[in-house]
Amino acid sequence: MPSHDPMPPPGTSALRYELLAKCSTTRARAATLHLTHGPVPLPIFMPVATQASLKGLTPKQLEETGCRLCLNNTYHLGLKPGQKTLDAIGGAHKLQGWEHNILTDSGGFQMVSLLQLAQVTEEGVRFLSPHDKSPMLLTPEHSISLQNSIGSDIIMQLDDVIATTSPDHARITSATARSIRWLDRCIAAHRNPSTQALFCIIQGGLSLPLRRQCTQEMLARNTPGIAIGGLSGGEAKSSFCAVVSAVTELLPETKPRYVMGVGFPDDLVVSVALGADMFDCVWPTRTARFGNAVTARGTLNLRHQSFAEDFRPIEAGCGCVCCRAPAEGGLGVTRAFVFHTAAKETAGAHLLSVHNVWFLLGLMGRVREAVVRDVFPGFLRGYFAEMYGGDKGRYPEWAVEALRGVGVDLMVDE
Amino acid sequence: MATLNTGQSSEDMFTVVKSTSNTLAPRLGRLTLPGRNAIETPHYIGLTSRGVVPHLSQDNYASLTSIQGVYTPLEDFIERKVPPLYLFKPPDGSSRLRRFTALPDKSLLVLGARRTPPVIAPPATSNTNDSIAVSTLVGFKLLKAEEYAESVEKLGADIVIGLGDIPYGRALGSKRIVKATDRSIEWLQDHVARRKRNAGQAGFEGQGKLFAPLIPLSCAKQQFYIDTLAEELQNDVAGLAIYSSVTLEDLPDEIAHLPRLDLTEVATPRAVLRQIANGVDVITMPFVSVVTDAGIALDFTFPGPKQIPPTPLSLGIDLWTTSHATDLSPLREGCTCYACTDHHRAYLQHLLAAKEMLGWVLLQIHNHHVIDQFFAAIRSSIAAGTFEKDIDTFTRCYEPELPEKTGQGPRVRGYQFRSEGPGEAKKNPTAFNTYDSSGVETPVAPDASEDAGDLEGKGFAEKDG
Ligand SMILES: [Zn+2]
Ligand SMILES: [Zn+2]
Repeated sequence: MPSHDPMPPPGTSALRYELLAKCSTTRARAATLHLTHGPVPLPIFMPVATQASLKGLTPKQLEETGCRLCLNNTYHLGLKPGQKTLDAIGGAHKLQGWEHNILTDSGGFQMVSLLQLAQVTEEGVRFLSPHDKSPMLLTPEHSISLQNSIGSDIIMQLDDVIATTSPDHARITSATARSIRWLDRCIAAHRNPSTQALFCIIQGGLSLPLRRQCTQEMLARNTPGIAIGGLSGGEAKSSFCAVVSAVTELLPETKPRYVMGVGFPDDLVVSVALGADMFDCVWPTRTARFGNAVTARGTLNLRHQSFAEDFRPIEAGCGCVCCRAPAEGGLGVTRAFVFHTAAKETAGAHLLSVHNVWFLLGLMGRVREAVVRDVFPGFLRGYFAEMYGGDKGRYPEWAVEALRGVGVDLMVDE
Repeated sequence: MATLNTGQSSEDMFTVVKSTSNTLAPRLGRLTLPGRNAIETPHYIGLTSRGVVPHLSQDNYASLTSIQGVYTPLEDFIERKVPPLYLFKPPDGSSRLRRFTALPDKSLLVLGARRTPPVIAPPATSNTNDSIAVSTLVGFKLLKAEEYAESVEKLGADIVIGLGDIPYGRALGSKRIVKATDRSIEWLQDHVARRKRNAGQAGFEGQGKLFAPLIPLSCAKQQFYIDTLAEELQNDVAGLAIYSSVTLEDLPDEIAHLPRLDLTEVATPRAVLRQIANGVDVITMPFVSVVTDAGIALDFTFPGPKQIPPTPLSLGIDLWTTSHATDLSPLREGCTCYACTDHHRAYLQHLLAAKEMLGWVLLQIHNHHVIDQFFAAIRSSIAAGTFEKDIDTFTRCYEPELPEKTGQGPRVRGYQFRSEGPGEAKKNPTAFNTYDSSGVETPVAPDASEDAGDLEGKGFAEKDG
């Protein structure tokens, strides 16, 4: 074990964070996260296999994109196939034939965002059964028990999720305090700390003092990993960056940091610069269904007429099985063929999902490589130049601002 | 047993390895196209929709199935004024259609005009003297025979089926038979003349073998056409496309050496056996994807279990049945396909119930594997001379029909169906209509069939008060 490696928190060995390198300018880190189902490189993008399946891809295809850690949603697996079935089968790895790692959320976020009538009380999240409208209750203990049955390698605490855009400061404050109390209940309820790493979720809306306070409280609980929650896209990007930056500043070097629900390429590279390591988002695979290809030069909507006769690969130079030429063992799929099948045969969306997941995993791989070689600021310059065709005027202001805050000025050439 | 081996005009493309009679008898053969896997016949080829076998992205097709070839209809590619496929020039100079659809090099590629089964054209759009009605993404249109003959030759298919005046879904009166025969002869003659003119010209390097489409009638009723094939065009036609089982019944010796591709839309394994018993070499089976969409895993062997069961066995397992929910056994005991070796019934049950696309992917892989085994056993049976007896065993072991669909299939892709008149049943349940039309959406809200008791029973949450 390297000398800088910390002692695991008492009673846990489900996770070991091995720091490999730190960027000498920004807060970016390169690491290897050792989990129950094998090591994963950090920083990492985790695709979301909501119901134990990733948009029609076989686990084998997902594995071939390089993915070694994907998400399942507790809320969905709790409904289907349900806890009893999960127990009988022996958990989600067994269910989906996935030999690598799984992270599950707590179910709370989806409960609140999908069921308008959900109500949060001290006991848990109250909601009406979608069928007969009878009242139901999801508690922190339920959530952990369900995640124990799922057997995911990383599990999340149930938190009191409030939209960061909520104007009700008192409600945000009480939700933050409640999330801390629920963390204690989750830790107490967790049956498998030696195989499943429990992450706390830092809340506090857009209030930096509240975020800092929550961070201190949760760090005292010493969970093996730390998530930053409640940033689901409704807030201004500058506020998002301010929160991530304020929190990572306080975090120990020895634990992974997961920013939940982030998946746009710009957001990922900036968040890494601000000191975050882990990200998940349904966007790359959901958008594939609408014919969108994520590339280093932006997102292409291949359902647009202009691609009907475009016989180039989805992204030139991409190493995914779709983009590689047949002579290189790939399929040589053209944009025109994606146009031809998109929204008509699901296989067209499967191909795009493969490409999109490959792209985001590859992007994180290049970030990691740049951090290890300590050339990350240069990587950022190259990344934005490519993404915006070299036009600095098109660089998003929030990104420029956030990166200035960690010592990289995109507007000044090296 | 006499072995006939006549390999005239089709050169070495098709060799009959074993046959007892020229008509109405099963035969073993080998279909060899340059650069492709040699296919032992009888065998099947897959059916594509917009260039892919439904549910199977080409990487899965290549690595997780043993499908030896596909039938691809031109009508899936010509909705635009200038079809992009016609403009495509693969950088490596290989087949346009193959590269466009990313079909693996080893797979046989057969090109025809229409899907099988096709969407039946409304009477207002019926075949004419110089064109046939085709169904494209944007509706029916007429495809000119000369346009077809000119275009398909540039696409690089291994086998091209000539355009026939096939009256899908309609019986032919005697006047109409004469018309269909005349048209089919004329179109084929013209096609052959064009092939000769274009042979060797730039753009036509990858000319495939030409198969003649027979009209879905007995040969006697299209005698004139058969004579043309046997005499005038004997050096130009390399195979036959069969659209009705009656055509096999009096197939004359003069064209018996030609490989027979079955497009009769067989609906059951029994129908497959009957066609093979009558001498079909390569067959297409629309029922495989239908069964897959129904959530059913095929579950039969040929000729069947060693002991004939007291009651006929089902040909498939309905994975919608909730009793599979915790069943970790393979879809079919002993199956070596990816779905059965890496996954289990419980996962399939879950994927279907959750309407996840992967469920149909895995079923498609498994079902094609069962069909692979079926055909291997058929060939062994013919080789052993026990085919007739084995068909009898199969008939006694298994139910005649495939199981009924009980669950919901994947979302029906709208372009596969056209309104065939008022009062037509809805193809998709209404609940799906609120989703985007571009594919299957993951249902985000719990299923309305779940009541609070179910949720509690599953440990999802508890009833509150
Ligand atoms: Zn790619
Ligand atoms: Zn199988």
